[in-house]
This record gives sequence, structure tokens and C-alpha cells, in this order.
Amino acid sequence: MSENFFEVNNVDFKIGGKTRVKNASFSIKNEGDIICLLGPSGIGKTTILRTISGLERISSGSITLNKKLLSSKSTHIEPEDRNISLAFQENSLFPHFNVEKNILAGTEKKINKKKIISPKEIIKILNLKNILNKYPHQISAGEAQRSSLARSLVSNPDLLLLDEPLSNVDQSFKEEIQVELKQLLSKFKITTIIVTHDSYEAFYLGSKCGIILNGQLKQYDDPYNIYHFPNSVEVVNFLNRGILIPAKVTGGDSLENDDLGIIKGKFIKHYPTGSKVKLLLQPEDLEHDDDSNLKLEVVDRKFRGTNFIYTLKTPSNNLIPVAVHTHHWEQHEVNEKFGIKRPIYIDHIVCF
Amino acid sequence: MYTNKFNIWFLSSLLISILVIIPITTVFFSFFEDTSRYFEILKETFLFEYILNSLILLIGVLVLTFILGVGSAYVVSFYEFPGANFFKWALILSFAIPPYIYAYSLFAFFDNYGTAFTILKNLFGEGEYNKYIPKFDDMFGLILSISFSLFAYVYILTRSAFLYQSQNLIELGKNLGFSKFKSFYSIILPAARPAIVAGLSLVAMETLAEFGAVDFFSVNTLTTGIYNAWITFDDLAFANRISFFLLLFIFILFLSENLSRKKAKFHLESKGGFKQKEKIILSGSKSFFAFLFCSIIFFLSFLFPLSQMLYWTIKFPENLFDINLTSLLINTLCLVLLSSIVLIIFALISNYGNRVSKNKILNVLSTLSISGYAIPGIILAVAFITFVAWFDENVIKALGFLSIKKIFIGSVLGLVIVYFIRFYSLAFNGIKSGYEKINLSVDESAYLLGYSKRKTFTNIHIPYLRNSILFVIILISLEIVRELPITLILRPFNFETLATTAYISASEDLLEAAAVPSLFLILIAAFFITITSKYILREK
Repeated sequence: MSENFFEVNNVDFKIGGKTRVKNASFSIKNEGDIICLLGPSGIGKTTILRTISGLERISSGSITLNKKLLSSKSTHIEPEDRNISLAFQENSLFPHFNVEKNILAGTEKKINKKKIISPKEIIKILNLKNILNKYPHQISAGEAQRSSLARSLVSNPDLLLLDEPLSNVDQSFKEEIQVELKQLLSKFKITTIIVTHDSYEAFYLGSKCGIILNGQLKQYDDPYNIYHFPNSVEVVNFLNRGILIPAKVTGGDSLENDDLGIIKGKFIKHYPTGSKVKLLLQPEDLEHDDDSNLKLEVVDRKFRGTNFIYTLKTPSNNLIPVAVHTHHWEQHEVNEKFGIKRPIYIDHIVCF
Repeated sequence: MYTNKFNIWFLSSLLISILVIIPITTVFFSFFEDTSRYFEILKETFLFEYILNSLILLIGVLVLTFILGVGSAYVVSFYEFPGANFFKWALILSFAIPPYIYAYSLFAFFDNYGTAFTILKNLFGEGEYNKYIPKFDDMFGLILSISFSLFAYVYILTRSAFLYQSQNLIELGKNLGFSKFKSFYSIILPAARPAIVAGLSLVAMETLAEFGAVDFFSVNTLTTGIYNAWITFDDLAFANRISFFLLLFIFILFLSENLSRKKAKFHLESKGGFKQKEKIILSGSKSFFAFLFCSIIFFLSFLFPLSQMLYWTIKFPENLFDINLTSLLINTLCLVLLSSIVLIIFALISNYGNRVSKNKILNVLSTLSISGYAIPGIILAVAFITFVAWFDENVIKALGFLSIKKIFIGSVLGLVIVYFIRFYSLAFNGIKSGYEKINLSVDESAYLLGYSKRKTFTNIHIPYLRNSILFVIILISLEIVRELPITLILRPFNFETLATTAYISASEDLLEAAAVPSLFLILIAAFFITITSKYILREK
């Protein structure tokens, strides 16, 4: 028997007879861990949550929680008999209950009462005090989402499933609530799976992240590894945080690109000298240097608060992103020349 | 949504749907049975007349209800004028007047020495007025009676479609340089087309099902043909065969509407971008004409028949004591109460069964089962008798039991069952529209919070559906109070309702006596309409 707290083994996730995610496996090692599933809209992330909660059945593989088999081809524990809570993305509050009654409805489940999460505390943390007497149609989408989250939390679930929990929350409030949510989940040791399409949210909240693309779980790893060591071109494209440029491996720690010249660093994977590869260049990989003789043309500049992201055009028409701190005194306009520091050194070289 | 396919909810829904479908299939199969030679006689004599009259009636009523319904809905939805808020509500009061009562009023008013004659005599002294007073005792009178009684279907649905038309749509027309008429013709009207067609479909079904008014004016239609086949020729199979023609008629109507609409989408799902319409404030002669138009419709559709019945009741007060009003009221309300309870319980179970089962067969059966409303009451009553007779003969008696005919035919139980079949779609759809407002994730949240299916149904759904249930009860009550042919055919001996008493008096040429039950029927129906008007006319 596996030592993992929660495990999905070779499951085809289906809805309405249609397979959305094929042959997926992932696990949560310890009780209280948070993982995130990341992927574009409509890819099947919600189907995974619905299946884990018992709202959908499986025809292959198995799902186990705390060493108990929940779903397999021949076993299906009904949703009301699993101690799993799912907070839906859309408003699923009981329309004729006010917010307070909705939240308290979460306390009715009699399965697991060992962890007692106080509704009062949750109401305070999620800033719901002022709307307790209101009905679902009288509150905003963000408030409805937080109320639904509160209801799920007070049910003391063994596993909490959150479907895009902050998608309707105002941007100004989002970061604050992310911090509080993470503290709350860790305080009460609530094992949680969060589905989101916001990579920053996933990287912040999850100790592990799964990337779902084209009906498959493409990568399941630490957020750092997902970001820096994506395992496929699809993951790179999905994260949209770098580009792939052609290069030729020139040694155990170097490669060469026609436009940028020699690039040094540590290869994540071994490639024989002379191999033609595609090198992943992320905005942080190259450094700006006004005095450098390697100059590229600026074709776009995006202001991102702490950084500018310059898009530079190489002589071979590749577009390369470079991040520069906004405190850098000299800003470069479109069509100007932009210097790249040499020699180029990248901590970890990712190639495909 | 998850489910065990054959749960108790699925089975209950299945059973209810089958129960409602039985009479419909009975009609279908009886078409292939042998009939007496009357059918052959009819085929060579009156069948063509029945069909032609039904068709003329249908077209006449559809044209008139379109003009009255769409016209009045347009005026009250787009313009502000004195009394607009009153007419918005007052125009639905015409629902309280069943076509047969309208027919009595129309006939009596214009009859020789009738109310019109009396008015003229009182105004201008004795005279030969009869030859100048038009008579409405034929097809035209019938078309008027049914149209004024039923136009509110078109009015309500069209008005609600107009209400939900965004100001953006109207401004778009202005932006494109359309004249007011062109905007109405090419933007407003097509956008409201599904609602108008839905309203006209209801009118068409009610028209083809109408018995009281058609019988009163002695216009031979398929409906009266069915009644005559059963009463005069005592030939159920023959009645069923005519019913089959009528069903075919209704089916073609549905099909042509569906085909003409194809997959065109007439309104956008509201995901923002909706802008509340601003009414145009009318003044001067335009305001007067809008007021006049609505006043005339209100007067003709409601005040006219009400006044006629009131006038007779006052003029012949002895009629008040000739009938046992208390017993009529108790009988009518007893039927309303029993049928409402049965319909609501079954419609709730069936809707929930459909919701949790998500079974395609059940879906088809449910769709078929709500077609009961499209089938004239007279056909349902005849089909019910056919089925009970067949079941009694082939099953009950074959098993050696005593006949069950008396339990179902000529009994309150039989009446309630057929009302149930006839009005099941009203209850089912009413509850369904309430259910559609409950997101499926609400159910799923309940399951995940540990609620069982039964607890979800009783603790979450029923309290939420409270308003829909109340609304459906009132609608059913309104229909049952006005219902005539089923009650007439299946009522127990010596059991009369307001509707049957009015009909019997009228058919015995005692129109003055029909006034008292008619007046009370109108008042009860108007009361039901008034308390539901806030749902019917809701704007938010």
C-alpha cells in the first residue's frame, strides 16, 4: 500500500462519456499539503475535481484518500459519503439561504469532526462579516466565491477541492486573500487541490503543480522546477515565459547561437557536442548592458511594475524577451538599439 | 452529474410519465380499430366540413389574437401614457372569461330583443332596432369569442419578450437610420418572434380544443364531431378516430413552427450588455389613441362580458336562488384543491427525478407526457374512458375481479386523473422553470456537504421552489375553474360545477340562468389572476 496521503493512479477523467484527461497519475504525499492543477480553460481541470469528489465515475485506474479506495472501475463511494469538499467556480450557494446559513450548512456533515474549524474565524479571515445577512443574489461574484469557500472550509474536509477559487476576487484583494488562504490551509492542515489558470497563483499556493495540456497531465513537479525546468515545448508555450531559439551544442557547458554567440551554463540534460537544439530563453536569462557591443533592436516594451520586458529582434528575426529593472536609469524606446551583456551565462540551460 | 441509473427518483418519474402518456397512445392505436359504419357516413358527409370549419376558425382566431396581443403588448411596453400601468395588468383579466361565457354574452347582447335592443329602446324609445343590430351567432361570433378570451396568451408572452429587448437593439436601429415602422418590423418584431409564436401556439391548441363556445354557436368542428360521435352515435372508436385527425392537426402545427424556426437564435444569453429600455412618453393625440386602443380591448375582452353577466344577475335575481351556489362553489374548489395537490406532488417528483437521473429515455417520455396540454380535454376524456373500458374488460374481468369502471368513470377520482393528464404540462413546466434557476452545482454542493438526495429535495429544493409552486397552483386553479368538456363528460351524477351549470343552462336556452354561475366563475378566476399578476407581469 502506498504511503501517500492522496493518490490518483492511471485514471481517465471523463465527463458525459468524453475523455477529458487521459491516464493521469499524481499524488499528495502528506496530509495538509496543497497542490495546484494548472491549464488553459476548458482542458478538463474541473472534471478532475468533480471525479475526485465523486460527482463523476471512473472506468479505469484508482483514486485513494488516506489509504481508503474512493473510486475504481468497481468501487464508487458516493459524494455525500466521502469527506471531500468542493468549492465550485460558479455560484453554488443555496439561493434561499442567507450567507450565514449557507456557511453553517457546511457544518452539518457528520463524517469527520476531529479538526474543528470555527465558522467565526473563517468569516473573519474571508472578510464576510458585513454580508452575513444578505442572500446570494444580493452579493457580488467575488463575495459569493468567498462565501462558498467558507462553507467548504467549515465542513472540515479530509480533502478540499477549490475550482478557480479567486477568479472573481478583485485584483487588489487577491494577493491578500492568497496569503490568508495559504496560512489558513496550513494552520488547519487541510489537504487541498486547487485548480487555476493563473500560473502565479499556482506557483504561490501549491507545493506541487500539475500542468494539464492537450488531455494529458504533462508535468507534475515543484513550482520552481515547472518554471525553470519545463519538460516539454508545450509547457514552455503554456507558461509563456520564454522563447525557443535555435542553437548548437559546442561542449559540456556551452552552446552557440548565430545571433547571440557563445552561451555558457549548466545543462539540465546532456546533449552530445554538435547537436542542434532549441534553447529556452526566459526574460531573466539575459542581462542588459548599455556598454555591450552586442546590440539588438527594440520592437516592444512592456511595463510590468518592477520590470520592463523588452522584446528584441535578432538579425535572424527571432524575438527575445529581456527583463530590466525599472530603476535602470536609461529607458530604451522602440527602434532603439539595446545592449546585451557578454559573456552570456545561464544558470540552467534547458533545451529541447 | 453522478447517479445510480435506476434510483427511486428515476422510477417514480418514469411511472408518472407513462401514466400521462397512456391516453395519448390510446388515441393513436384506436385509429387502427374498426369503427361503426358512422365513420363511413361521416367521411362522405361532414368530415370535410369539420376540417374546413376547424381550419377557418383557427386562422381567424390566430389573426385576431396576433393583432390584439402583439398590438397591446407593443403599446404598453414601448410607450408611457395615462393608464399604461393599469392596462398592463387589466389586459390579462380577459383570462377570467372562458370563450363559452364570452359567447353567451356576445350572443345575448346582439340577439333579437337582447341587451343592445334594450339599450336602444331605453335611449330612443320603441323601434324596429332588431334589423339594424348585427348578429354574432355564427363563425364570426365564435372567432370573436375565442380571440377576446385567448389573446392574453399572446399579450403576456410578447410583452415579456419586448420587455427583455435591450435598448441597445432599438438604438442600433436608429443608428442604422431605420424609421420607427422599419425598426418595429425588422428588429423588434423578429426578435420577439419565438414568444409570439409560443403565444399563438397556445392559442391554436386552445382553439382546437374549445368545446363550449363551438357547441353554443353550433359550428361543426372536429371537437364537436368527437363529442357527437361519442354522445350521439355512442361510438368511442369513431370519436377516437376524429381525435386522431385533430391530433394530427396539432402535430403539423408544432412541426411547421419548429421547422420554420430551424436553429435561428433570437436572443442572446444575457452576459452583460443589456440596457434597460426607456419608454417613449406620449402626449396629445398619440397618448389619447394609445389610451383608446387599450381601453377598447379591455372593455371588449373583460368589461363587456362581465357587465352582461352582472346585468342579468341583477335583472333576474331569482336565478341566484334557483341554483345551489354553495354546492357549486364547494364542488369547484374541491376539484381545484384535489387536482392541485396531486399535480404539484407528481410534478415535483418527476422534475427532481429527471434532474438527478439525466436519462435520455426519461427525457423523451417527459416531453411526450407534457403534450397532454396540446390534446383537447374532450379527447382525453374519451381516451380515458376507452382505456378504462379496455382495461376493465381485458384485465380486471379476465382476472375474475369486479368491474372497476364505476371507480373511474363518473367519479371525482376519474375527473382528477384526467385533469392531471390535461394540466400536467402546466405543473411540470411551471416547476421546471423554477428548477432551471437552481444551478446544478447547488445540488452537487448539497451532496458534498453530506445531504442525501431526499434531504436535498426536501430541505433545499422545495423551500426554494415555494413561489413557483404557489404560482403553478394558481394557474392550475384558473384552468380547472374554467374547464368544461372533461368535467361535463366525467363528472359524477348530480355533481355540478360553476362551468357545467353555466353550460347546461345555456344549452337549454336559459342564458339568463347561465349568468349567475358565469359571474361567479369570472369573479373567482379574476381573483386568481389578480393574485398571480405580479408573477405573470414581473419585470425583473
